Amino acid sequence: MLTKEPLLSVRNLHVSYGAIRAIRGIDLDVYDGEIVCVIGANGAGKSTLMNAIIGNVKREEGTLLLDGKPLAGRSYQAVAQGVSLAPEGRKVFAPLTVHENLMMGAFPIKERSKIGEDLDWVFTLFPRLKERKDQHAGTLSGGEQQMLSIGRALMSSPRLLLLDEPSLGLAPIIIRDIFKELKRINDEGVTILLVEQNARQALLLSHRGYVMQTGRMLMEGLAADLLKNPDVEAAYLGTAKK
Amino acid sequence: METLLQQVINGFSLGSVYALIAVGYSLVYSILLFSNFAHGGFLVIGGYICYYTLAAVGNNIWVASLLAFLGAGVSAVLVERGAYKPIRERTNVTLYLLIASMGMSIVIENIFVVTVGGRFRALPPVIPMTPVSVFGLATTSAFDILSLVMAMIFLAGLQVFLSTTKWGLAIRAASYDLKTAGLMGVNVNKLISIVFFVAGLLAAVGGIFLSVRYTLYPQLGLITIKAFVAAVIGGLGSLPGAVVGSLILGLAEMLTAGFISSQMRDIVVFGMLVLTLLWRPTGLFGKHISEKV
Repeated sequence: MLTKEPLLSVRNLHVSYGAIRAIRGIDLDVYDGEIVCVIGANGAGKSTLMNAIIGNVKREEGTLLLDGKPLAGRSYQAVAQGVSLAPEGRKVFAPLTVHENLMMGAFPIKERSKIGEDLDWVFTLFPRLKERKDQHAGTLSGGEQQMLSIGRALMSSPRLLLLDEPSLGLAPIIIRDIFKELKRINDEGVTILLVEQNARQALLLSHRGYVMQTGRMLMEGLAADLLKNPDVEAAYLGTAKK
Repeated sequence: METLLQQVINGFSLGSVYALIAVGYSLVYSILLFSNFAHGGFLVIGGYICYYTLAAVGNNIWVASLLAFLGAGVSAVLVERGAYKPIRERTNVTLYLLIASMGMSIVIENIFVVTVGGRFRALPPVIPMTPVSVFGLATTSAFDILSLVMAMIFLAGLQVFLSTTKWGLAIRAASYDLKTAGLMGVNVNKLISIVFFVAGLLAAVGGIFLSVRYTLYPQLGLITIKAFVAAVIGGLGSLPGAVVGSLILGLAEMLTAGFISSQMRDIVVFGMLVLTLLWRPTGLFGKHISEKV
Protein backbone atom coordinates (compact mmCIF):
# COMPACT_ATOMS: atom_id res chain seq x y z
CA MET A 1 0.00 0.00 0.00
CA LEU A 2 2.78 2.40 0.85
CA THR A 3 4.36 2.27 -2.59
CA LYS A 4 1.34 3.97 -4.18
CA GLU A 5 0.94 7.73 -4.45
CA PRO A 6 -1.32 8.93 -1.65
CA LEU A 7 -4.74 10.38 -2.53
CA LEU A 8 -4.17 13.16 -0.03
CA SER A 9 -0.73 14.20 1.05
CA VAL A 10 -0.14 16.92 3.63
CA ARG A 11 3.41 18.14 4.21
CA ASN A 12 4.63 20.56 6.86
CA LEU A 13 1.24 22.23 7.38
CA HIS A 14 1.14 25.30 9.64
CA VAL A 15 -2.00 27.18 10.67
CA SER A 16 -2.30 30.08 13.10
CA TYR A 17 -5.17 32.11 14.48
CA GLY A 18 -3.43 35.39 15.17
CA ALA A 19 -0.81 34.62 17.79
CA ILE A 20 -2.17 31.14 18.50
CA ARG A 21 -0.36 28.47 16.54
CA ALA A 22 -3.01 25.81 16.12
CA ILE A 23 -1.06 23.50 13.78
CA ARG A 24 2.73 23.43 13.90
CA GLY A 25 4.06 21.40 11.02
CA ILE A 26 1.98 18.33 10.28
CA ASP A 27 2.57 15.51 7.77
CA LEU A 28 -0.28 13.21 6.88
CA ASP A 29 -1.07 10.78 4.06
CA VAL A 30 -4.36 9.20 3.10
CA TYR A 31 -4.33 6.46 0.46
CA ASP A 32 -7.12 5.67 -1.96
CA GLY A 33 -9.71 3.40 -0.37
CA GLU A 34 -8.56 3.90 3.20
CA ILE A 35 -10.29 5.03 6.35
CA VAL A 36 -7.82 7.09 8.36
CA CYS A 37 -8.57 8.67 11.70
CA VAL A 38 -6.88 11.43 13.64
CA ILE A 39 -7.46 11.15 17.36
CA GLY A 40 -6.50 13.54 20.09
CA ALA A 41 -7.82 15.59 22.97
CA ASN A 42 -9.94 18.69 22.75
CA GLY A 43 -7.88 21.58 21.39
CA ALA A 44 -5.24 19.40 19.74
CA GLY A 45 -5.96 21.10 16.40
CA LYS A 46 -7.99 18.31 14.80
CA SER A 47 -10.82 20.52 13.54
CA THR A 48 -8.34 23.10 12.32
CA LEU A 49 -6.64 20.37 10.31
CA MET A 50 -9.95 19.50 8.64
CA ASN A 51 -10.72 23.14 7.91
CA ALA A 52 -7.24 23.71 6.53
CA ILE A 53 -7.55 20.75 4.15
CA ILE A 54 -10.85 22.01 2.73
CA GLY A 55 -9.62 25.61 2.60
CA ASN A 56 -11.96 26.98 5.24
CA VAL A 57 -9.07 28.46 7.22
CA LYS A 58 -5.95 30.02 5.75
CA ARG A 59 -2.90 27.75 5.53
CA GLU A 60 0.16 29.60 6.62
CA GLU A 61 2.68 27.19 5.21
CA GLY A 62 2.76 23.68 3.82
CA THR A 63 1.99 21.62 0.73
CA LEU A 64 -1.30 19.85 0.19
CA LEU A 65 -1.71 17.52 -2.77
CA LEU A 66 -4.85 15.72 -3.87
CA ASP A 67 -3.94 12.93 -6.26
CA GLY A 68 -0.61 14.65 -6.93
CA LYS A 69 -2.19 18.00 -7.80
CA PRO A 70 -2.09 21.01 -5.46
CA LEU A 71 -5.29 21.29 -3.43
CA ALA A 72 -6.96 24.68 -3.86
CA GLY A 73 -6.94 27.05 -0.90
CA ARG A 74 -10.59 28.08 -1.21
CA SER A 75 -13.27 25.67 -0.15
CA TYR A 76 -15.48 25.97 -3.23
CA GLN A 77 -12.50 24.99 -5.40
CA ALA A 78 -11.46 22.20 -3.06
CA VAL A 79 -14.99 20.78 -3.21
CA ALA A 80 -14.85 20.89 -7.00
CA GLN A 81 -11.56 18.93 -6.82
CA GLY A 82 -13.29 16.14 -4.93
CA VAL A 83 -12.98 16.81 -1.19
CA SER A 84 -15.96 17.41 1.03
CA LEU A 85 -16.46 17.97 4.74
CA ALA A 86 -19.20 17.06 7.18
CA PRO A 87 -18.31 19.77 9.71
CA GLU A 88 -18.16 19.57 13.47
CA GLY A 89 -21.55 20.14 15.06
CA ARG A 90 -23.25 18.91 11.85
CA LYS A 91 -24.14 22.43 10.65
CA VAL A 92 -27.25 21.41 8.72
CA PHE A 93 -29.27 24.28 7.26
CA ALA A 94 -32.06 24.17 9.84
CA PRO A 95 -34.67 26.26 7.98
CA LEU A 96 -34.27 24.27 4.76
CA THR A 97 -35.87 20.88 4.18
CA VAL A 98 -33.84 17.67 4.21
CA HIS A 99 -34.16 17.51 0.43
CA GLU A 100 -32.98 21.11 0.03
CA ASN A 101 -30.02 20.41 2.30
CA LEU A 102 -29.01 17.51 0.09
CA MET A 103 -29.44 19.66 -3.03
CA MET A 104 -27.08 22.20 -1.44
CA GLY A 105 -24.54 19.40 -1.12
CA ALA A 106 -24.93 18.74 -4.84
CA PHE A 107 -24.24 22.40 -5.69
CA PRO A 108 -21.09 21.76 -7.78
CA ILE A 109 -22.70 18.92 -9.77
CA LYS A 110 -24.05 20.01 -13.14
CA GLU A 111 -25.75 16.86 -14.51
CA ARG A 112 -29.24 16.28 -13.17
CA SER A 113 -29.01 12.52 -13.70
CA LYS A 114 -25.88 12.37 -11.53
CA ILE A 115 -27.63 14.28 -8.76
CA GLY A 116 -30.55 11.84 -8.94
CA GLU A 117 -28.21 8.84 -8.65
CA ASP A 118 -26.38 10.31 -5.68
CA LEU A 119 -29.67 11.17 -4.01
CA ASP A 120 -30.86 7.58 -4.39
CA TRP A 121 -27.57 6.34 -2.97
CA VAL A 122 -27.78 8.64 0.07
CA PHE A 123 -31.39 7.53 0.64
CA THR A 124 -30.28 3.87 0.54
CA LEU A 125 -27.54 4.57 3.06
CA PHE A 126 -29.84 6.58 5.34
CA PRO A 127 -33.47 5.56 4.73
CA ARG A 128 -34.52 7.84 7.60
CA LEU A 129 -33.62 10.84 5.44
CA LYS A 130 -35.93 9.64 2.70
CA GLU A 131 -38.81 9.34 5.16
CA ARG A 132 -38.17 12.88 6.32
CA LYS A 133 -37.14 14.51 3.09
CA ASP A 134 -39.76 17.28 3.21
CA GLN A 135 -39.19 18.06 6.87
CA HIS A 136 -37.14 21.04 8.00
CA ALA A 137 -33.66 19.94 8.98
CA GLY A 138 -33.96 21.78 12.29
CA THR A 139 -36.70 19.37 13.39
CA LEU A 140 -34.49 16.27 13.03
CA SER A 141 -32.91 14.48 15.97
CA GLY A 142 -29.17 14.80 16.52
CA GLY A 143 -28.45 11.43 14.92
CA GLU A 144 -30.61 12.24 11.90
CA GLN A 145 -28.89 15.60 11.53
CA GLN A 146 -25.53 13.81 11.51
CA MET A 147 -26.81 11.46 8.82
CA LEU A 148 -27.98 14.50 6.86
CA SER A 149 -24.62 16.21 7.28
CA ILE A 150 -22.79 13.12 5.99
CA GLY A 151 -25.34 12.59 3.20
CA ARG A 152 -25.03 16.22 2.19
CA ALA A 153 -21.24 15.90 2.00
CA LEU A 154 -21.64 12.81 -0.20
CA MET A 155 -23.87 14.66 -2.68
CA SER A 156 -20.87 16.37 -4.25
CA SER A 157 -19.47 12.89 -5.15
CA PRO A 158 -16.25 13.37 -3.22
CA ARG A 159 -13.21 11.14 -3.61
CA LEU A 160 -12.17 12.10 -0.11
CA LEU A 161 -14.79 12.53 2.62
CA LEU A 162 -13.70 14.50 5.67
CA LEU A 163 -15.63 13.92 8.88
CA ASP A 164 -15.20 16.21 11.87
CA GLU A 165 -16.36 14.52 15.10
CA PRO A 166 -19.26 12.54 13.63
CA SER A 167 -20.04 11.04 17.04
CA LEU A 168 -20.27 14.34 18.89
CA GLY A 169 -23.21 14.46 21.27
CA LEU A 170 -24.83 11.25 20.03
CA ALA A 171 -26.05 8.23 21.97
CA PRO A 172 -23.76 5.15 21.72
CA ILE A 173 -26.34 3.11 19.80
CA ILE A 174 -26.67 5.86 17.18
CA ILE A 175 -22.90 6.22 16.93
CA ARG A 176 -22.73 2.49 16.16
CA ASP A 177 -25.30 2.86 13.36
CA ILE A 178 -23.51 5.81 11.83
CA PHE A 179 -20.09 4.14 11.97
CA LYS A 180 -21.60 1.08 10.28
CA GLU A 181 -22.77 3.30 7.43
CA LEU A 182 -19.33 4.91 7.23
CA LYS A 183 -17.86 1.45 6.65
CA ARG A 184 -20.39 0.91 3.87
CA ILE A 185 -19.62 4.29 2.29
CA ASN A 186 -15.93 3.34 2.31
CA ASP A 187 -16.69 -0.08 0.80
CA GLU A 188 -18.37 1.72 -2.09
CA GLY A 189 -15.15 3.53 -2.92
CA VAL A 190 -15.09 6.75 -0.91
CA THR A 191 -11.86 7.37 0.98
CA ILE A 192 -12.49 8.71 4.48
CA LEU A 193 -10.45 10.88 6.82
CA LEU A 194 -12.09 11.44 10.18
CA VAL A 195 -11.12 13.20 13.36
CA GLU A 196 -12.61 11.94 16.59
CA GLN A 197 -12.41 12.32 20.32
CA ASN A 198 -14.15 9.00 20.54
CA ALA A 199 -10.82 7.24 19.93
CA ARG A 200 -11.82 3.61 20.38
CA GLN A 201 -14.74 3.74 17.94
CA ALA A 202 -12.64 5.64 15.43
CA LEU A 203 -9.68 3.23 15.62
CA LEU A 204 -11.97 0.20 15.37
CA LEU A 205 -13.38 1.59 12.13
CA SER A 206 -10.12 2.81 10.58
CA HIS A 207 -7.25 1.15 8.74
CA ARG A 208 -4.69 3.60 10.03
CA GLY A 209 -4.59 6.28 12.68
CA TYR A 210 -2.71 9.38 13.72
CA VAL A 211 -2.46 10.76 17.25
CA MET A 212 -2.41 14.53 17.49
CA GLN A 213 -1.40 16.71 20.42
CA THR A 214 -1.20 20.51 20.62
CA GLY A 215 -0.74 21.05 16.92
CA ARG A 216 1.70 18.20 16.26
CA MET A 217 1.47 14.57 15.22
CA LEU A 218 2.58 12.43 18.12
CA MET A 219 2.24 8.98 16.59
CA GLU A 220 0.98 7.21 13.52
CA GLY A 221 0.40 3.59 12.69
CA LEU A 222 -2.03 0.84 11.85
CA ALA A 223 -5.23 1.31 13.79
CA ALA A 224 -4.93 -2.17 15.30
CA ASP A 225 -1.45 -1.36 16.63
CA LEU A 226 -2.55 1.97 18.08
CA LEU A 227 -5.42 0.22 19.86
CA LYS A 228 -2.89 -2.03 21.59
CA ASN A 229 -0.36 0.72 22.29
CA PRO A 230 -0.16 1.27 26.07
CA ASP A 231 0.40 5.05 25.79
CA VAL A 232 -2.59 5.48 23.49
CA GLU A 233 -4.63 3.26 25.76
CA ALA A 234 -3.79 5.30 28.81
CA ALA A 235 -4.24 8.72 27.24
CA TYR A 236 -7.14 8.25 24.84
CA LEU A 237 -8.91 4.96 25.40
CA GLY A 238 -9.58 5.45 29.07
CA THR A 239 -8.20 2.12 30.28
CA ALA A 240 -5.41 1.85 32.82
CA LYS A 241 -1.82 1.45 31.67
CA LYS A 242 -0.77 -2.17 32.05
CA MET B 1 -65.20 56.05 4.09
CA GLU B 2 -63.97 57.15 0.70
CA THR B 3 -60.93 58.79 2.25
CA LEU B 4 -60.23 55.62 4.20
CA LEU B 5 -60.24 53.40 1.13
CA GLN B 6 -58.19 55.92 -0.80
CA GLN B 7 -55.62 56.20 1.96
CA VAL B 8 -55.44 52.43 2.30
CA ILE B 9 -54.63 52.09 -1.40
CA ASN B 10 -52.08 54.90 -1.19
CA GLY B 11 -50.63 53.30 1.92
CA PHE B 12 -50.18 49.96 0.21
CA SER B 13 -48.67 51.71 -2.78
CA LEU B 14 -46.13 53.59 -0.65
CA GLY B 15 -45.57 50.51 1.51
CA SER B 16 -44.85 48.33 -1.51
CA VAL B 17 -42.14 50.76 -2.64
CA TYR B 18 -40.66 50.65 0.86
CA ALA B 19 -40.83 46.88 0.56
CA LEU B 20 -38.61 46.89 -2.55
CA ILE B 21 -35.99 48.79 -0.60
CA ALA B 22 -36.45 46.91 2.66
CA VAL B 23 -36.24 43.49 1.01
CA GLY B 24 -32.88 44.23 -0.62
CA TYR B 25 -31.59 45.69 2.59
CA SER B 26 -32.84 42.70 4.57
CA LEU B 27 -31.33 40.28 2.05
CA VAL B 28 -27.89 41.82 2.53
CA TYR B 29 -28.41 41.81 6.29
CA SER B 30 -29.37 38.14 6.31
CA ILE B 31 -26.14 37.15 4.54
CA LEU B 32 -23.55 39.49 6.05
CA LEU B 33 -25.31 40.49 9.31
CA PHE B 34 -24.76 44.23 9.02
CA SER B 35 -26.99 47.18 8.21
CA ASN B 36 -25.89 48.44 4.82
CA PHE B 37 -26.45 52.19 5.15
CA ALA B 38 -25.23 52.71 1.59
CA HIS B 39 -28.40 50.99 0.40
CA GLY B 40 -30.10 54.38 -0.08
CA GLY B 41 -27.24 55.32 -2.39
CA PHE B 42 -28.19 52.52 -4.82
CA LEU B 43 -31.68 53.98 -5.00
CA VAL B 44 -30.31 57.44 -5.83
CA ILE B 45 -27.96 55.99 -8.46
CA GLY B 46 -30.94 54.25 -10.07
CA GLY B 47 -32.96 57.47 -9.96
CA TYR B 48 -30.26 59.57 -11.64
CA ILE B 49 -29.50 56.97 -14.32
CA CYS B 50 -33.21 56.91 -15.11
CA TYR B 51 -33.41 60.73 -15.18
CA TYR B 52 -30.47 61.22 -17.53
CA THR B 53 -31.37 58.31 -19.79
CA LEU B 54 -34.87 59.72 -20.17
CA ALA B 55 -33.32 63.02 -21.26
CA ALA B 56 -30.93 61.29 -23.64
CA VAL B 57 -33.22 58.78 -25.36
CA GLY B 58 -36.38 60.84 -25.43
CA ASN B 59 -38.55 59.68 -22.59
CA ASN B 60 -38.42 55.93 -23.19
CA ILE B 61 -39.16 54.68 -19.68
CA TRP B 62 -38.40 51.04 -20.58
CA VAL B 63 -34.84 51.72 -21.73
CA ALA B 64 -34.31 54.17 -18.88
CA SER B 65 -35.50 51.82 -16.15
CA LEU B 66 -33.60 48.87 -17.56
CA LEU B 67 -30.38 50.90 -17.55
CA ALA B 68 -31.20 52.18 -14.05
CA PHE B 69 -31.72 48.62 -12.75
CA LEU B 70 -28.46 47.39 -14.26
CA GLY B 71 -26.52 50.49 -13.23
CA ALA B 72 -27.69 50.36 -9.63
CA GLY B 73 -27.10 46.60 -9.45
CA VAL B 74 -23.57 46.94 -10.79
CA SER B 75 -22.86 49.89 -8.46
CA ALA B 76 -23.98 47.81 -5.51
CA VAL B 77 -21.60 45.02 -6.55
CA LEU B 78 -18.74 47.53 -6.94
CA VAL B 79 -19.42 49.03 -3.51
CA GLU B 80 -19.30 45.55 -2.01
CA ARG B 81 -16.10 44.59 -3.84
CA GLY B 82 -14.38 47.89 -3.16
CA ALA B 83 -15.47 48.74 0.35
CA TYR B 84 -16.82 45.65 2.12
CA LYS B 85 -14.93 42.67 0.73
CA PRO B 86 -11.50 43.86 1.92
CA ILE B 87 -12.95 44.27 5.41
CA ARG B 88 -14.88 41.03 5.65
CA GLU B 89 -11.83 39.08 4.46
CA ARG B 90 -9.81 40.48 7.35
CA THR B 91 -12.24 40.37 10.24
CA ASN B 92 -15.49 38.82 11.41
CA VAL B 93 -16.51 41.98 13.23
CA THR B 94 -19.54 43.27 11.31
CA LEU B 95 -19.37 46.64 13.07
CA TYR B 96 -16.58 47.64 10.68
CA LEU B 97 -18.81 46.84 7.73
CA LEU B 98 -21.53 49.03 9.22
CA ILE B 99 -19.10 51.93 9.60
CA ALA B 100 -17.79 51.43 6.05
CA SER B 101 -21.36 51.48 4.75
CA MET B 102 -22.02 54.80 6.48
CA GLY B 103 -18.92 56.14 4.77
CA MET B 104 -20.05 54.80 1.38
CA SER B 105 -23.46 56.37 1.85
CA ILE B 106 -21.82 59.79 2.33
CA VAL B 107 -19.49 59.18 -0.64
CA ILE B 108 -22.33 58.29 -3.02
CA GLU B 109 -24.49 61.21 -1.91
CA ASN B 110 -21.67 63.68 -2.38
CA ILE B 111 -20.62 62.30 -5.75
CA PHE B 112 -24.04 63.50 -6.92
CA VAL B 113 -23.83 66.80 -5.05
CA VAL B 114 -20.48 67.52 -6.74
CA THR B 115 -21.28 66.30 -10.24
CA VAL B 116 -24.94 67.13 -10.85
CA GLY B 117 -25.65 69.53 -8.01
CA GLY B 118 -28.01 69.36 -5.09
CA ARG B 119 -31.13 70.74 -6.73
CA PHE B 120 -34.42 68.89 -6.90
CA ARG B 121 -35.29 67.41 -10.26
CA ALA B 122 -38.64 66.17 -11.45
CA LEU B 123 -38.71 63.19 -13.78
CA PRO B 124 -40.51 63.95 -17.04
CA PRO B 125 -44.13 62.72 -16.99
CA VAL B 126 -43.36 59.19 -18.14
CA ILE B 127 -45.53 57.50 -15.54
CA PRO B 128 -49.23 58.34 -15.87
CA MET B 129 -50.68 60.27 -12.93
CA THR B 130 -54.28 60.30 -14.17
CA PRO B 131 -56.96 59.78 -11.51
CA VAL B 132 -58.39 56.29 -11.43
CA SER B 133 -61.67 55.37 -9.86
CA VAL B 134 -61.55 52.19 -7.78
CA PHE B 135 -64.87 50.36 -8.27
CA GLY B 136 -66.53 53.76 -8.01
CA LEU B 137 -65.78 53.79 -4.28
CA ALA B 138 -62.65 55.86 -4.17
CA THR B 139 -60.30 57.79 -6.41
CA THR B 140 -56.60 57.21 -6.59
CA SER B 141 -53.95 57.89 -9.20
CA ALA B 142 -52.75 55.53 -11.88
CA PHE B 143 -49.26 56.05 -10.46
CA ASP B 144 -50.24 54.58 -7.11
CA ILE B 145 -51.78 51.52 -8.73
CA LEU B 146 -48.81 51.13 -11.06
CA SER B 147 -46.21 51.34 -8.31
CA LEU B 148 -48.14 48.81 -6.25
CA VAL B 149 -48.39 46.40 -9.19
CA MET B 150 -44.75 46.82 -10.25
CA ALA B 151 -43.51 46.33 -6.70
CA MET B 152 -45.56 43.16 -6.38
CA ILE B 153 -44.20 41.87 -9.70
CA PHE B 154 -40.61 42.43 -8.60
CA LEU B 155 -41.18 40.92 -5.16
CA ALA B 156 -42.83 37.89 -6.73
CA GLY B 157 -39.89 37.64 -9.13
CA LEU B 158 -37.49 37.63 -6.21
CA GLN B 159 -39.54 34.94 -4.50
CA VAL B 160 -39.43 32.77 -7.63
CA PHE B 161 -35.66 33.31 -7.94
CA LEU B 162 -35.08 32.36 -4.31
CA SER B 163 -37.34 29.33 -4.24
CA THR B 164 -36.72 27.70 -7.62
CA THR B 165 -33.13 28.35 -8.71
CA LYS B 166 -29.87 26.80 -7.59
CA TRP B 167 -28.37 30.15 -6.59
CA GLY B 168 -31.63 31.05 -4.86
CA LEU B 169 -31.32 27.93 -2.73
CA ALA B 170 -27.69 28.79 -2.03
CA ILE B 171 -28.72 32.28 -0.90
CA ARG B 172 -31.33 30.83 1.45
CA ALA B 173 -28.74 28.43 2.86
CA ALA B 174 -26.16 31.21 3.18
CA SER B 175 -28.62 33.43 5.01
CA TYR B 176 -28.70 30.74 7.68
CA ASP B 177 -24.98 29.92 7.65
CA LEU B 178 -22.65 31.56 5.15
CA LYS B 179 -19.56 29.60 6.11
CA THR B 180 -21.22 26.22 5.75
CA ALA B 181 -22.67 27.31 2.40
CA GLY B 182 -19.06 27.80 1.33
CA LEU B 183 -18.30 24.19 2.32
CA MET B 184 -20.99 23.05 -0.13
CA GLY B 185 -18.90 24.27 -3.05
CA VAL B 186 -20.61 27.65 -3.33
CA ASN B 187 -18.29 30.48 -4.32
CA VAL B 188 -19.19 32.76 -1.44
CA ASN B 189 -17.86 35.94 -3.08
CA LYS B 190 -19.93 35.29 -6.16
CA LEU B 191 -22.99 34.66 -4.00
CA ILE B 192 -22.48 37.93 -2.14
CA SER B 193 -22.13 39.78 -5.45
CA ILE B 194 -25.40 38.26 -6.69
CA VAL B 195 -27.12 39.35 -3.48
CA PHE B 196 -25.81 42.91 -3.82
CA PHE B 197 -26.81 43.03 -7.49
CA VAL B 198 -30.36 41.97 -6.64
CA ALA B 199 -30.51 44.42 -3.73
CA GLY B 200 -29.25 47.26 -5.93
CA LEU B 201 -31.71 46.41 -8.69
CA LEU B 202 -34.69 46.37 -6.32
CA ALA B 203 -33.52 49.64 -4.77
CA ALA B 204 -33.46 51.21 -8.24
CA VAL B 205 -37.06 50.12 -8.86
CA GLY B 206 -38.01 51.81 -5.59
CA GLY B 207 -35.82 54.80 -6.46
CA ILE B 208 -37.62 55.47 -9.73
CA PHE B 209 -41.04 55.40 -8.08
CA LEU B 210 -39.85 57.58 -5.20
CA SER B 211 -38.31 60.07 -7.66
CA VAL B 212 -41.67 60.38 -9.35
CA ARG B 213 -43.51 60.71 -6.03
CA TYR B 214 -41.15 63.17 -4.32
CA THR B 215 -38.70 64.46 -7.03
CA LEU B 216 -35.06 63.41 -7.25
CA TYR B 217 -32.20 64.85 -5.22
CA PRO B 218 -28.93 63.47 -3.80
CA GLN B 219 -30.38 62.99 -0.31
CA LEU B 220 -33.38 60.99 -1.53
CA GLY B 221 -31.55 57.93 -0.22
CA LEU B 222 -32.31 59.06 3.31
CA ILE B 223 -35.82 57.74 2.79
CA THR B 224 -34.21 54.33 3.18
CA ILE B 225 -34.42 54.98 6.91
CA LYS B 226 -38.14 54.26 6.56
CA ALA B 227 -37.29 50.99 4.86
CA PHE B 228 -34.82 50.17 7.67
CA VAL B 229 -37.59 50.83 10.19
CA ALA B 230 -39.92 48.60 8.17
CA ALA B 231 -37.31 45.85 8.08
CA VAL B 232 -36.81 46.08 11.85
CA ILE B 233 -40.56 45.98 12.50
CA GLY B 234 -40.86 42.95 10.23
CA GLY B 235 -37.78 41.29 11.71
CA LEU B 236 -34.25 41.92 10.42
CA GLY B 237 -33.10 39.41 7.88
CA SER B 238 -36.57 38.04 7.19
CA LEU B 239 -37.87 38.80 3.69
CA PRO B 240 -41.58 38.20 4.41
CA GLY B 241 -41.01 40.35 7.49
CA ALA B 242 -39.59 43.16 5.36
CA VAL B 243 -42.62 43.10 3.07
CA VAL B 244 -45.19 42.96 5.89
CA GLY B 245 -43.32 45.62 7.89
CA SER B 246 -43.20 47.90 4.84
CA LEU B 247 -46.91 47.54 4.13
CA ILE B 248 -47.77 48.25 7.76
CA LEU B 249 -45.53 51.30 7.70
CA GLY B 250 -46.90 52.67 4.42
CA LEU B 251 -50.43 52.15 5.69
CA ALA B 252 -49.70 53.84 9.01
CA GLU B 253 -48.11 56.81 7.23
CA MET B 254 -50.97 57.34 4.82
CA LEU B 255 -53.68 56.87 7.45
CA THR B 256 -51.93 59.38 9.68
CA ALA B 257 -51.65 61.80 6.78
CA GLY B 258 -55.30 61.31 5.87
CA PHE B 259 -56.92 61.44 9.28
CA ILE B 260 -54.56 63.27 11.63
CA SER B 261 -51.94 65.41 9.95
CA SER B 262 -49.27 64.97 7.32
CA GLN B 263 -46.70 66.32 9.74
CA MET B 264 -47.37 63.52 12.19
CA ARG B 265 -46.27 60.82 9.72
CA ASP B 266 -42.70 60.51 10.93
CA ILE B 267 -43.70 60.55 14.59
CA VAL B 268 -45.96 57.59 13.94
CA VAL B 269 -43.25 55.75 11.98
CA PHE B 270 -40.57 56.14 14.62
CA GLY B 271 -43.08 55.60 17.41
CA MET B 272 -43.84 52.22 15.85
CA LEU B 273 -40.12 51.47 15.76
CA VAL B 274 -39.76 52.26 19.46
CA LEU B 275 -42.78 50.14 20.35
CA THR B 276 -41.47 47.22 18.29
CA LEU B 277 -38.10 47.37 19.98
CA LEU B 278 -39.77 47.48 23.40
CA TRP B 279 -42.25 44.67 22.88
CA ARG B 280 -40.67 42.44 20.29
CA PRO B 281 -37.04 43.32 19.64
CA THR B 282 -36.65 40.61 16.98
CA GLY B 283 -39.59 42.04 14.99
CA LEU B 284 -42.63 40.21 13.71
CA PHE B 285 -40.77 37.47 11.83
CA GLY B 286 -37.30 37.90 13.28
CA LYS B 287 -34.98 35.00 13.78
CA HIS B 288 -33.40 34.53 17.14
CA ILE B 289 -29.98 36.08 16.87
CA SER B 290 -28.53 33.68 19.42
CA GLU B 291 -28.94 30.85 16.91
CA LYS B 292 -26.83 32.62 14.35
CA VAL B 293 -23.73 33.21 16.40
